[in-house]
Amino acid sequence: MTLVAGVDIGSTTAKCALLEAGEVVGKSLAPVGVELVKDAERALEQALAEAGRERREVAVVTGTGYGRFKVKFGQFAVTEIGCHAKGAHYLFPATHLVLDIGGQDTKAIKVDAQGEVVDFAMNDKCAAGTGRFLDVCAAALGYDVSEIGTLSQGARRPVKVTNTCTVFAESEVTSYVARGKDPRDILAGLYAGIVSRSLSLMQRVGVEPEVTFTGGVSKNEGMVRTLEQRLGFKVNVSPLSQYVGAIGAALYGLERTEGTSA
Amino acid sequence: MAAAKPEPAFLTTARDRQREMVEQYYSDLASAGGPKRPVAYMLVGGNLTEIVRSFGFEVVFPEIVALNCAIKHVSLPNILHAESQGYGLDVCGYVKNDLGLQELGGQTPFGRIPPPDLLVCSFSGCYVYVKWWEALAEKYGCPLFMLDVPYMRDAEPQAEDIQYLVTQLNEFIALLEKITGRSFDLAELRKTLARSRKAEQGWVDYLASGKHRPSPIEAYFEAVFYMFPINVLRGTDVAADFYATVNEEVRARIAEGHYPVPEEKFRLVVEGVPPYPSYRTFWDFFRKWGAVSVAATYPKVGGLFDRGFLHDPARPLESIAEYSLGAYVNQSWPLRRQIIGEYIRDFEADAVLIHGIKSCRSFTAGQGDLRDRLIHDHGIPTLYIESDHEDPRYFAPAQIKNRMDAFFESLDRRRGSVPLPVVNA
Repeated sequence: MTLVAGVDIGSTTAKCALLEAGEVVGKSLAPVGVELVKDAERALEQALAEAGRERREVAVVTGTGYGRFKVKFGQFAVTEIGCHAKGAHYLFPATHLVLDIGGQDTKAIKVDAQGEVVDFAMNDKCAAGTGRFLDVCAAALGYDVSEIGTLSQGARRPVKVTNTCTVFAESEVTSYVARGKDPRDILAGLYAGIVSRSLSLMQRVGVEPEVTFTGGVSKNEGMVRTLEQRLGFKVNVSPLSQYVGAIGAALYGLERTEGTSA
Repeated sequence: MAAAKPEPAFLTTARDRQREMVEQYYSDLASAGGPKRPVAYMLVGGNLTEIVRSFGFEVVFPEIVALNCAIKHVSLPNILHAESQGYGLDVCGYVKNDLGLQELGGQTPFGRIPPPDLLVCSFSGCYVYVKWWEALAEKYGCPLFMLDVPYMRDAEPQAEDIQYLVTQLNEFIALLEKITGRSFDLAELRKTLARSRKAEQGWVDYLASGKHRPSPIEAYFEAVFYMFPINVLRGTDVAADFYATVNEEVRARIAEGHYPVPEEKFRLVVEGVPPYPSYRTFWDFFRKWGAVSVAATYPKVGGLFDRGFLHDPARPLESIAEYSLGAYVNQSWPLRRQIIGEYIRDFEADAVLIHGIKSCRSFTAGQGDLRDRLIHDHGIPTLYIESDHEDPRYFAPAQIKNRMDAFFESLDRRRGSVPLPVVNA
């Protein structure tokens, strides 16, 4: 059995996934700092610790994410666009479209039946509609981002958040709070805004079921529900949705070692 | 220590000659101005170089000055100065570079840009440009001639459009006679146009060589250097001779098997204006993947000579009118799509890259649809990237590199390639 690792150094978190015999046998997730090389090392060590395995057992390490070239101990580097396509296809083989909302960018990736990238679209320059946007707006409401997933459930009159700038949207949220708006309505408005922006990217490459939602924001139930409402169908969300890029990277490494398409 | 990136391969003699021509041009300009050597400002699109030169004018192209500033990394102070004067973030970077530079005295690292004695707005398709020229006219109090060029909706120029322009050209000539006190010399114009035609044919031959596999030319990044004479020095023997040198070197490249991208992997058609402030960085993103542009639309902003048009000394004003109509940005979107579609076919392209610029809606608005249409109509992978041609603040290297890596990676995967080793960062 070949043990392979994928290390995804994103803009806000470092993820690692260990694969063996087609199964995820170890994983890790931690915030990234300024020393990406060390963050990458730590991500691998923590995943190995969870799996109870040794570094010497890992046949191939593949880096992905913005910091993929900082995975200095790795053998290969693949963009996160390719890795999310590959990872989503591994978890949900009927995936046609991947929506990945990470810390600072949003990607819509059209994939073929083999999990290869056909087309993709990403947000430009601005972090509005990403995980960072939710962090900032949650803080403006007095919550941690991990607490807001189900809060919008009771929303009755969602507000309109018109700003496309994270900083200005924060001011807008603050002004709604000051006007006494229900936080549930504000959150529902934020989710609607993010989904609207994401849909625009998805439509650029073509919306077709199955859609697989990945990245940190896919952990937010309110976002998933709002997305499904707008799409009119269910989307795939795996418990491993934050690790999809790392899984895809590991699969690329496996493919390399085996010389075949994984 | 990391190994130095290999330098892009230029045509050695042609590149040296091009540098000399640019230096000479700006050196000559520094002492121009006034009644003896008056200065005309003109836009690249639809320019009337041959006519104004026949009256003894030196010609300044503020767009070219601006791109020279950008590529030498000195555009931002000019832009910031224009913004301090009240020009907003959304105003074109070329415009702000020029207006900022004018306010700061016109000194650049490549020479002093003299103020205008005459302003010729030769491309009226961009309203911001019209306002730019009006702002300069107000500042300098010099005559402003506005050439109203009809937008091209048909593949061939229409007779009434040509007539409309010829009427304006006659008015323009009358204005030049009045300003300079000189008489219009039709025979001299015909001679100038014959020299233009010779240069244009040389330029066309150069561009056509991108059809060769592997391509002996880089039709975007490298061609940009060789478009200077076709836009600025057209009508001179210097320009015609230059393209003879260029093509001789291209033939030598083919004979020796020495290509700008040694291992050509992807043949690209490129649409859009280059990000001049980050020109080399952007080029490196291509070269890393063995991608070469075999055809590009941007080098045609001064004229679509490769589509069959050449100035005709036998029909001087009519052919100048046709030339003005034929500026690339003056073509309708269906025509632009058709041009790109033919490049894809004729140059056997693997993919299209579109570089949109924040500054220019004339060039960029519609490029999103263009991407979708090219994918739909030609089944060709197409990537859209956005930054700016003048303002360095809009070039986000990490994001652009990531998109380009993902794009080339997916092209590579379709050919069954394996992931990129991490050492190739």
